[in-house]
Amino acid sequence: MATETSQSDEARGPLQRWTQSAIENPERVYRALFYAAMVFFMFTTLFPFYWLLVLAITPEGRLLSGSYLPTIDLFGISATFPLPVPQGFNPQAFLEVFNQLPFHLYMLNSFALAISTTVIVLIIASLAGYVFGRLDFPGRAVLMLGILAISYFPPAAFVVPLFEAFTGRAAILIPFTDIPLFTPPRLLNSPGSMVMPFSALFMPLSIFILTTFYGQIPDGLEDAARVEGTTRLGALFRVIIPLSAPGVATAAVLTFIAVYNEYFFSSIMATSPSAENWSPIVGGILSFQTQYTTQYNLMAAASIIAVLPVVILVIVAQERIVSGLTAGALKE
Amino acid sequence: MSTDTAGAGERESRRSGVAVRVMRWMENLSDTQYAYLLLVPVFVLLGAIALYPLLRTFELSLFETRLGQGQGTFVALDNYIGLLTGEKDPVLPGTTTFLPDTLAFDAMIQSALVVTLIFAVVSVFFETIIGLGQALILDQDFYGRRWIRAAIIIPWAVPIVIQGMMFFLMFNSNIGFLTEPLANLGILAPTNTLNDSASSLFIVIVADIWKTSAFMALLILAGLQSIDRGLYDVAKVAGASKFQQFRYITFPLILPTIGIAILFRSVQAMRVYGIIDFVSGCETVPSLSCMVVATFLRRQGTSAAIAFTTAAIIGAVVMGIIYWQGEDAI
Repeated sequence: MATETSQSDEARGPLQRWTQSAIENPERVYRALFYAAMVFFMFTTLFPFYWLLVLAITPEGRLLSGSYLPTIDLFGISATFPLPVPQGFNPQAFLEVFNQLPFHLYMLNSFALAISTTVIVLIIASLAGYVFGRLDFPGRAVLMLGILAISYFPPAAFVVPLFEAFTGRAAILIPFTDIPLFTPPRLLNSPGSMVMPFSALFMPLSIFILTTFYGQIPDGLEDAARVEGTTRLGALFRVIIPLSAPGVATAAVLTFIAVYNEYFFSSIMATSPSAENWSPIVGGILSFQTQYTTQYNLMAAASIIAVLPVVILVIVAQERIVSGLTAGALKE
Repeated sequence: MSTDTAGAGERESRRSGVAVRVMRWMENLSDTQYAYLLLVPVFVLLGAIALYPLLRTFELSLFETRLGQGQGTFVALDNYIGLLTGEKDPVLPGTTTFLPDTLAFDAMIQSALVVTLIFAVVSVFFETIIGLGQALILDQDFYGRRWIRAAIIIPWAVPIVIQGMMFFLMFNSNIGFLTEPLANLGILAPTNTLNDSASSLFIVIVADIWKTSAFMALLILAGLQSIDRGLYDVAKVAGASKFQQFRYITFPLILPTIGIAILFRSVQAMRVYGIIDFVSGCETVPSLSCMVVATFLRRQGTSAAIAFTTAAIIGAVVMGIIYWQGEDAI
């Protein structure tokens, strides 16, 4: 650059210089916009976690004692610091959570419910995915549409009769008749009353993911296994499922996260939020909100503990989540 | 296994004899029979947990059932008529109505139907815009993309109850530091923020946008990545700016994906329950699912009628999706 222009550049100040170069080279504007947007999105997605951390390590006595936005003295100019900061340091809150409530039991319940639902969904959806992905038979399109349609209905449309059935007081009647089928056992406050609705609710997504993956295995591999003497089911479990391991992992991760996230049935089918009633973390966190109404640090600490498993799962399995959501949801 | 002479070996072979017979029977089924055989578990599960409850909900909605009265009396469509005329409004919690009394804003946000629609439309609108922005960023190649993507996906995986806790703690009038500045701007009520319908609706929508934008972003990202990169090379040679490339290549090509994603999300948004129940409560922000839960122990008939109306509205949207996408849907 010639000395003349650089001198005039200095005279104009940094902002004008930047504007000048931006006009000459629009690429830089896009870069700047790109990084600005990236920082903005990172901030908005991660900020609520930071706020939980701030509250969790603030000692209980100082929770309400002052503003979380401290005033700072910056070379004589006082300004409000734009980020909330903790008012003290008290990591004991993370242990106190387990003293107040058996929070580990709620977490165990959540894990047990999520894992058993995932296993059931994977087995049933594997059979269905094989059928839809590899067999051609009359009624295939209609059945897939039916499963798709059911997956769109809100849980609220199912809850009234399911709750009635799970109380186990009266026999289940065939709808619109008085013919009794059987009297169900009382399932409220047991894992069955949650695992069954979860399985039905989240199975369609797994069926669509597995249909896509199983459909991609070349026919020749299955034929070869059959010629070697495996049975039809053997070919599914020894050839197709192992070859589609990424698809099965995807379906498993998504089902696990979906059950861990579930609120509707989790809060209704356990009639009181206590760990003995198989209430998952929904019950644990709700108890903190309703019983320990001012111990905001414990609420925040419990939330951080309970969110850790899914955060780790997302970081480890993000490729699977991305491919599963896009494959499954767009197919749907 | 009748006599003691039958040894372990014979038992073994007899059991496997049954297994062999079942296997042989399965081998000889036609493709269609085999397909339906493997689908039996799906039919049983969905039949028991989805189809039966749906039919039963419709049946219950035709009866006037109160707590502890058994089946109740058959009232045909009275429950639905009662909902539409406002006769059933006293059954709903708080001052909630099903349809709005007047067209004033205050009456609108007391109406379960309108609140659900406002929630769905506003949250899906912002989720689409933010999701598009996030997808455009994730579509670029840059150092650390993996971590940025994980950070953007994480809110989607956060359990609803913890999402609720985050926003409860951010906007609670005792401790939430966001209430005061936003109240000064006139957006939120300064005191009892989470018992004020308009403020709570705003907070619940913000919470939903925070959590679900990532889902939109992933759907749109799939659309972006299916675009043929060669098109951009052609555009560059022709001298198109980045904005022109977006306007004339990217946007038209991802429009169908965005359309599907919007419909898909709208259907999900109309189910909203958990975040409302946790952050403010069903009396403050009455959504349709909320009303079902609030009434189903005392007034089964009314509850079932609301549930079936919700299902019918969603069903209509789904029919639209399937009709619009046609065979591509499968």
